[in-house]
Amino acid sequence: MKIDRIKSREQLDQLAKEFRYIVTDIMCRAGGGHIGGSLSLVEIIITLYFRIMNVKPDNPRWEDRDRFILSKGHAGPTLYTALAYRGYFPKEVLLTLNANGTKLPSHVDQVITPGVDQTAGSLGQGLSCANGIALANKLQKKTNNVFCVVGDGESQEGQIWEAAMFAAHHKLDNLVVITDYNKMQIDAEVEKIVSLEPVVDKWRSFGWEVFEMDGHDWDQIYDTIQKAITVKGKPAMIVAHTVKAKGNVCYENRIECHFISIPDEDERKRVIGGVCAEGDEEPFHFNWTEGN
Amino acid sequence: MKLHEKELRAVYTDTLIELMTENSNVVCLEADLGKSSGTVPRVWEAFPDRFFDVGVAEANMIGISAGLANEGMVPFCATFTPFATRRAYDQITISIAYAENPVKIVGTAPGITTAKNGATHMCFQDLAIMRAMPNMRVYCPADVYELRSMVRYMAVSKKPEYMQLIREVHSPLFDEDYEFDPHKARVLDEGSDVTVVTTGLTSQFAREAVALLKQEDIHAEHIHYPSVKPFDVETLLKSVKKTNAVVAAENHNVIGGLGGAVCEVLAENHPVKVKRLGARDRFGEVGDVPYLSQTLGFSAKDIATACREMQASR
Repeated sequence: MKIDRIKSREQLDQLAKEFRYIVTDIMCRAGGGHIGGSLSLVEIIITLYFRIMNVKPDNPRWEDRDRFILSKGHAGPTLYTALAYRGYFPKEVLLTLNANGTKLPSHVDQVITPGVDQTAGSLGQGLSCANGIALANKLQKKTNNVFCVVGDGESQEGQIWEAAMFAAHHKLDNLVVITDYNKMQIDAEVEKIVSLEPVVDKWRSFGWEVFEMDGHDWDQIYDTIQKAITVKGKPAMIVAHTVKAKGNVCYENRIECHFISIPDEDERKRVIGGVCAEGDEEPFHFNWTEGN
Repeated sequence: MKLHEKELRAVYTDTLIELMTENSNVVCLEADLGKSSGTVPRVWEAFPDRFFDVGVAEANMIGISAGLANEGMVPFCATFTPFATRRAYDQITISIAYAENPVKIVGTAPGITTAKNGATHMCFQDLAIMRAMPNMRVYCPADVYELRSMVRYMAVSKKPEYMQLIREVHSPLFDEDYEFDPHKARVLDEGSDVTVVTTGLTSQFAREAVALLKQEDIHAEHIHYPSVKPFDVETLLKSVKKTNAVVAAENHNVIGGLGGAVCEVLAENHPVKVKRLGARDRFGEVGDVPYLSQTLGFSAKDIATACREMQASR
């Protein structure tokens, strides 16, 4: 079943549950993956792709579409799940994550994956590309929105702040950027490595309209993004407070969740168990061949 | 004023203005060195809506250009050669080359032509590192006619491309009818004693060397490569089958650039002796172009000497 637009909280909750299961499952089958930063984005990506963005899955490069740049390209698996559910490619393709010859690499790739608007993975680069895309869309007198997600650790890259200055200077009000502020990076908590604080003041002082939201609260996400879209004369930044590896109890809010390795079946069962309700082996019976 | 009486950067600017007039997708980007490229103030004044000076932020310029190209625009972005290549190398690799976003990168003041700016600005690595990047093409025009045709070609090629841009006036090697083809090297002089392979600035130097050698009855075949990548294998092999000796000279490190490309091709197809002239794995220094070309060993005189040695050892 292909889902275009969903509104009810029950549907959203069910979708998030399926996304978390699928992201965990495909990573486990692939032997590991960036589970933490993928699961922290589930509600945000679902809201963008199922409630906000204007896209045509049967015409991925449709010129008037809203664009999405996943600057923290390692969260690809959550984006791929959204693309599959929107119908860009069959859900079974998700099972090829990181397999030899796959179209779904661990970091997003605009050349090989239908629906990926911009290649990213080397951190700090996607926001500059989003600037170029937003600038081009303005020059072309398009009315679409350009959405971009950056990581908190990624925001330690100097290029992010080069891009921040440029977007404000050129009043790129068709650009909405979300910081996935899950407060953790590979080596430790962001606060222990190099703090971003005061992150809201930083972006505001760079000339951006800044919002904050709970990145797992459906209403806050939807309302905040809608507000950010209407900002005129400057770009908008939404600092989304999220939980790394949200929804997988094995890894939720644990430093070691950035990238996990699944060496064997026992570990796979344990990690899959992390997205199952107590007592259940599986959260629902997902049929990979027919889809749910 | 004839075209070849102009500085190359003036012709770059003229050509960009023509292209931007013809095609509303062409945009020009600079990173606070637009005066040096020639686009400030002329392009800025002619097209204020399609000229973007990003400030001293090369990585951002590359990313913005990638995004523009991703949306069908044709961005030409320029800065000094070291900043246009090695400074933003990962950004160029991922956001442009790997992503197949057809950005046009222009590296101004290549090698010794940065002269008094000295070693910090004197890049002898650009050809090597850009050549090693998949999907990237690497060009070095040698005169204004070639430059103009090359820039026009780049505006329609839909490929990621890097071009060196010497700023100053140089003697014409070609004329109004010249048409750039990246797959075609140019035989500027025919001969059967030794093959001289050059690109960009050294194509100018070699003209003088070849003329000197003629007076000594040494007939060099001079091949100019406007494109170091793609590399025209056929023209080199055809020449080398006659001469069996090659002198490759470049305004660059002898490692990995034009001489490197020549050696790779010959090692695989027709092994012969090659003498590489260029900076011998060293950094530059302040100086003028004649001083630096002689100090580093790729002046006209050095090219002539290498050819004589090749001839004597045959």
